[in-house]
Amino acid sequence: MEEIKDKVWEWVLAEQGAQFEPDAEYYCPTRDIFQARLDRMTRVMLQDGGTGESHVYLLSSIAGEIGNNSFDHNIGIWPDIAGIFFSYDILGKTKQIVLADRGVGVLATLRKVKNELQNHEQALRTAFTERLSGRLPERRGNGLKFVRESVAMDHFHLSFYSGDAVAELNEQILIIKNDRSISGCLANLMYTTELELDTKKK
Amino acid sequence: MKIEIKKFGDILISRPAGREAFLALLAYQLRDIAPNEPIEIDFDGVLVLSPSWADEVITPLVERNALVTLSNTDNSSVQATLKTLREYSNLKI
Repeated sequence: MEEIKDKVWEWVLAEQGAQFEPDAEYYCPTRDIFQARLDRMTRVMLQDGGTGESHVYLLSSIAGEIGNNSFDHNIGIWPDIAGIFFSYDILGKTKQIVLADRGVGVLATLRKVKNELQNHEQALRTAFTERLSGRLPERRGNGLKFVRESVAMDHFHLSFYSGDAVAELNEQILIIKNDRSISGCLANLMYTTELELDTKKK
Repeated sequence: MKIEIKKFGDILISRPAGREAFLALLAYQLRDIAPNEPIEIDFDGVLVLSPSWADEVITPLVERNALVTLSNTDNSSVQATLKTLREYSNLKI
């Protein structure tokens, strides 16, 4: 998983305007490719049996919301490379799903409808706690609230980066400044299996 | 009438796919349905549902028809999605 983390950070931190595509196995240039790979991930997780069905459905739904958000809010305005980075490690010790884009980021999106937002931390707080979407007049803006509540409900952990801020979500939400700044978004969804959760409880 | 959601797929994630599903519903299944005719939305067989897809299908269906009921909603992503829509999209069902 360390290799994937290195690759995703290398991609999101590449100089603006760089025509630098991730490795084909991680790169979803279109929504259709993302959907196909998400379907595959879901079925692999169900077949593997290491993660309970209930968790699999929610993890897949969370990943779907985050990945589709990238396409919804950057369509037609991708600064350089269109599409998302999508990878996962569901067999290793630390199970993770990683998604990222080189889009305009949460602050630029939400400022269109909430001009008073001052920084990336405020933007992330708004995104995860208020019903507000950058795509007015469409009725949207519930996806990241769903993500926050689902992460809390099933004891997952999500690190969601945008700009120079990061939202750390589990049962709580902590939003702080990050030492690296990215133009788009990067999400790292981590979880343990029921078996590991039971062991921890004992 | 009964709408079987699994006929649109078992992993239902994106808004464009949801919008397409609702337009197909309007054209092929809802065209001749009166606003007061009961509709059952059946989630049997759905593995993954997200608020983006559901907000394009379930929310307008419920707004359009007063007598909508939901069945087979045990799936965790279906339950979480419906909770989100009730809380943030004013879904009244």
